[in-house]
Amino acid sequence: MTTVNVTPSDFTMVEFRVEDIVAVAERVIMQADLSGFDQLNIDIDEASPLARASIKSVDPLTLAVEGGAFEDTRRPRQLSEDRTADTIGRYVLKATDRINGGFSDAPSDDDLTLAQSVAWDVYCVGRLVKAGFKGQRKRRVYQFRNRHGFTDAADAAFDELWTASGLTWTELETISAAACEASGLS
Amino acid sequence: MTDPSRPRAPFAPWDRRELPGIFDVDETARRVGHYKWIETKLFEALGGWVATVPELDIKLRLGTHCYHHAWHAELMHKRLPELREMKPDRLTVPPNDEMVAFVDALTQPEAAELTLEKLVGVYRVLIPHKIAAYTYHRNNTSRITDAPTIRSLDFMLQDEFDDWRDGEMLIQSLIETPEDVDRAAHRQAELEKLLLAAGGIAGPGTIGDPYATSGE
Amino acid sequence: MRKSFPADDLARDERFNRVSQAERVQDPRLGGSGTSSRAKLTPALRSAPDRARSLMHGIFTGEIQALEGAGRTCFDFEIGAGEGEVPFELKLDMARQCWDEARHCEISVMLADHMGTELGEFTENTLLYEAACNTDPVLRLTGVNRALEGLAIDVFTTMKDFGTIAGDPVLEFCEDWMLADEVTHVKMGSDWLRNLTAGDRDRLDRALEFQRVVDKLFSFNGLRGEDDESPIQLTRRFREMAGFTDEEIDDIAELSREAAAS
Repeated sequence: MTTVNVTPSDFTMVEFRVEDIVAVAERVIMQADLSGFDQLNIDIDEASPLARASIKSVDPLTLAVEGGAFEDTRRPRQLSEDRTADTIGRYVLKATDRINGGFSDAPSDDDLTLAQSVAWDVYCVGRLVKAGFKGQRKRRVYQFRNRHGFTDAADAAFDELWTASGLTWTELETISAAACEASGLS
Repeated sequence: MTDPSRPRAPFAPWDRRELPGIFDVDETARRVGHYKWIETKLFEALGGWVATVPELDIKLRLGTHCYHHAWHAELMHKRLPELREMKPDRLTVPPNDEMVAFVDALTQPEAAELTLEKLVGVYRVLIPHKIAAYTYHRNNTSRITDAPTIRSLDFMLQDEFDDWRDGEMLIQSLIETPEDVDRAAHRQAELEKLLLAAGGIAGPGTIGDPYATSGE
Repeated sequence: MRKSFPADDLARDERFNRVSQAERVQDPRLGGSGTSSRAKLTPALRSAPDRARSLMHGIFTGEIQALEGAGRTCFDFEIGAGEGEVPFELKLDMARQCWDEARHCEISVMLADHMGTELGEFTENTLLYEAACNTDPVLRLTGVNRALEGLAIDVFTTMKDFGTIAGDPVLEFCEDWMLADEVTHVKMGSDWLRNLTAGDRDRLDRALEFQRVVDKLFSFNGLRGEDDESPIQLTRRFREMAGFTDEEIDDIAELSREAAAS
């Protein structure tokens, strides 16, 4: 059972509640079968409306999240369960990929190219959708096209990643690089 | 080889346009002024309603149709000086007070939940009456002397038919219950009565007199 | 139907969520700026696709309000030459603008779909329509057609450039067409401003001052400017085509610099 910790314990700039975030994180871990970590720490910078997030450490698994990543774009300063699940799910999946092998040769998050980063996001969100979460598929297609070209080859690569499971970093990187090359972006 | 010096009839065998038409210059100008007045009132109302209508597709259609009717008003405005009316505003008037009452009633709904009433007034009452009036005019005026008006009316009628179809389909899409049917019918009857009192968009005789017989 | 229709009553379906400028400015996270990022929108930014989506949605709601504003100008004023009246030809231009803005809405809806954005996914700010509510038609024209449509020129140019660099042919194509219309609308505003204030220096000054207020409001604390790093680029060439003088463009650039520094 993964223990979820959220900081801060009280929010003053946004109307988030710790128990709501914990509940979403536990649902993601259970539904997406991501119980490989004893602990999941989520450090939230509530002062930032930006939507950035990163893995601060893998052991214990700690995510650094800017508040905008959990925010409802329709209702400023309110928590969006869908966006919270999407953000936590993607990063826990990436951490799981790294510790489960197959991604040991993946560059660090900071060293990923934009294309590689988006390709990995697509692979993660595709798996979250299979686990019953919303994925904003068209939004992900647009992000993917921006990094891999507005081409049929890029769209085919997207479909491959979106429906995949059990990929290794080399396989994921090969799909991404081939799409870039086919679109004349390499 | 064609002999260029060989005389031909001024009207080809298939050209059966005739003189005279039933409208003289003054009557044509009077009608054209009324058309401009109602087209202006309509495009103003459609423009004003855009902000009041929550249905996105209807909001955008009203914006598009607003321009169609503004263009019709412009066509009629430009025709008036060609009909010896150098001050077009002088003839840009309603045919009577009853027509003003009709337009007041037509443009009265504002609330967001009254889209059906707004559309019925335009697309089931006013536009069918405009189609009737313009068709009567184009079929009865001289195709030789008043050809410029006919050309404009033809353009306008094309828009009217297209917009009427758009509007009717929007109305049908809004009607979901028997009560909606009643609402639409009630609104139509209410406005039809006012337009009946006005005699049509150009006043009594807008579409002629069906009971007038030749020789009387 | 009332003459003059308040922004609070603008009709929307349930997908849309409105946030007032006051609420935006009072967001404690933004330090009163009302906006969240000052970085120039380029595809090289990690967040660029989502920022482009958000900006495109803002353009979409702006187009709806521009349509509503032009429509209200058709209705709110009587035809005439008196105070609070407008020439028939001005109304015809506004009706034409209604059609243009309706097409822009249609284009924006399709672009939103292309970019993976749901209608109503982002909040709506009615500041644009509020500028279209002035009771003086000349001020309305300067506020909307010169200040806001002028801003649209800048935003569309920024988005078109983004589409070009990102290799997105759909975005580039759509923005290019909308840009052509916006130049026309700004020119309309410039022409009517001259026409309606001919011989009335006071009224011209009031109108230009109102335009300056709106320009300042929409400088977004310096987000728009001529510097390479400005998120929204002030576009000189198209503004000149639309009837702005060099001095007027310099003035807007200066306003943006002042806003950025404050």
